[in-house]
Amino acid sequence: MGTIAVATVSTRRRRSSSRTDAAIERRWGYAFILPTVAFFIAFVAYPFIRAAYLSLSRWAGYGTVEFVGFHNFVALTQDPIFWQALRTTILYTAITTVVQTALPLLLAVLLNAGWRGGVLFRTVVFLPAVVSFVVSGILWQMIYEPNFGLLNRALRAVGLGGLAQGWLANGTTALPAIMFVSLWMSLGLFMLIYFAGMQGINPNLYEAARLDGANSWQQLRYVTVPMLRPITAVVVTLNMISGLKVFDIVYTMTGGGPNHATEVLGTYLYSIAFGSRTASIPAIGYGTAVSMVVFVLAMGAVLFQNWWTRKARDERD
Amino acid sequence: MSATDVSASHPAAGTAAQISATHRQHWSRPTSAFARAGGYLVLLFVGLGTVFPFVWMLLTSVRESNTVFSGGFLPSSVSFAAYRSAWVQVDMAHHFFVSVWMTVVTVIGVVSLSTLSGYAFAKLRFPGKQAIYLLLLSTLMVPPTATIIPLFIELRDLHLINNQGGLVLVYIGTALPFSMFLMRAFFESLPSELIEAGKLDGATQWSIFRRIMLPLAAPGVATVVIFQFLQTWNEFLMANTLLQSPNLLPLQPMLFALNGQYSTNWPVLTAALTITSVPVIIVYVRMQRQFVAGLTLGAIK
Repeated sequence: MGTIAVATVSTRRRRSSSRTDAAIERRWGYAFILPTVAFFIAFVAYPFIRAAYLSLSRWAGYGTVEFVGFHNFVALTQDPIFWQALRTTILYTAITTVVQTALPLLLAVLLNAGWRGGVLFRTVVFLPAVVSFVVSGILWQMIYEPNFGLLNRALRAVGLGGLAQGWLANGTTALPAIMFVSLWMSLGLFMLIYFAGMQGINPNLYEAARLDGANSWQQLRYVTVPMLRPITAVVVTLNMISGLKVFDIVYTMTGGGPNHATEVLGTYLYSIAFGSRTASIPAIGYGTAVSMVVFVLAMGAVLFQNWWTRKARDERD
Repeated sequence: MSATDVSASHPAAGTAAQISATHRQHWSRPTSAFARAGGYLVLLFVGLGTVFPFVWMLLTSVRESNTVFSGGFLPSSVSFAAYRSAWVQVDMAHHFFVSVWMTVVTVIGVVSLSTLSGYAFAKLRFPGKQAIYLLLLSTLMVPPTATIIPLFIELRDLHLINNQGGLVLVYIGTALPFSMFLMRAFFESLPSELIEAGKLDGATQWSIFRRIMLPLAAPGVATVVIFQFLQTWNEFLMANTLLQSPNLLPLQPMLFALNGQYSTNWPVLTAALTITSVPVIIVYVRMQRQFVAGLTLGAIK
């Protein structure tokens, strides 16, 4: 009798103490996440919700906010500069994505063959990813400068002076010139992502391929590339996102010019909202409508990647 | 989106750790000497081509200003006058220290808050945990250009526009979800038995976190520190938008303004670019491993 009573008491005590433990843990949990959640609401969630609302409003940044429904988006469809910025953004994203997915892969495959000085090579090629877009933009602006820039001087030195021109002042060469800087900045980064992925491929697969008589090219084609598909999906998405949100480098190098030839959605919404270049009345509502377009495109890229990663995993496994 | 979807959208988080792993060779080297010579030439060409703009930047910064547009490729004499002008006359010294303190405060803020929340999301049980976690992550891919306009309005309403403290708050707020995501992954990999052992010894949740778990997460903290240092030091869009007085600017928007005023003074301009890049390059060369891990993680932002 006595022992049973003791047992009941001790069970009850244990249960109630574990209940307090859970309550204490809960309290600590909320306390630990509170600052992060507060910052998130203040500087991420709230601005985002506000952007969604402002995109449906007419507002110059002061005075009353007038709700206008989808008026801004309708106006966008009749805005030739918006269409041009959208086209340029998509073109920029498409080309940089293809180039910056393929070239780093080829380079990683080459590097993986094992070379003396390979580590030094990795260090050097990664270097442009470390400096800022502003530094890179200004540096390449000088390189592309028509009269004394490094590129034109080099062309003249090798007898190709006829090709020398104002690379960023010419509407047809300005965008490719910026894309080249983007490649210069990201080549080493994406090469290292692939390179890391290649270290994770099971060597037995190559062994088996060799036993089947596969040469180096066939090993690349039928082992490396398929095994790297999930990583390729990441690289493609990273490229798509950074292409869609491109701002710093264009703003620094051309400001969207000449005559909107390099205008992208990022620079366009910036000039609408902050009016630095157009000298017009800042149109906050209209500008945030453009930023909603950027947001929707970026989310599309993320969904695309989720779908592709899952597909690549399923196919590989 | 389920939890697995979120981590599946960030496989770089896994690969980054392997980047500096020992190089493993998979297939036989190209046998022909011809192929090897060709491969070597390609690597040499890419390597030299990548570093060449930096070499040219350094060479231009040490030229006498009257030889920039006429002299040969190598300067005939070396002068550090441009660095003196950039540091003293342009007063980069001032903007350099603005960048230093803003970066330091941002890094401290982000690391302390993201280790706390990362730990809670990894190891503590509380209702609503999963939902809050997914909500924080859902905005990881929102481009900064999509929220810069409302952020400007918000800071203006709070009277924090043109205020360096306001910018630091924005830096911390926008960086936290991603750093929390990283720290959660690191804490998740630590054994929960350590927490139970701490509880048996009568330790509070705070001292379990502070004395037991945080020291074990040091490699993760190092990655977040380096990644955040690079992000903040190089940030341009928000600094250029949320600060307006020239004397408040950190280095990146200050360089942008300088580019307009000194567009013909290349030695001073390249000296300014060099001064701005030296800190990140030093950290990169000294801490390459964490740096590459941090940046490949950062690329997914």
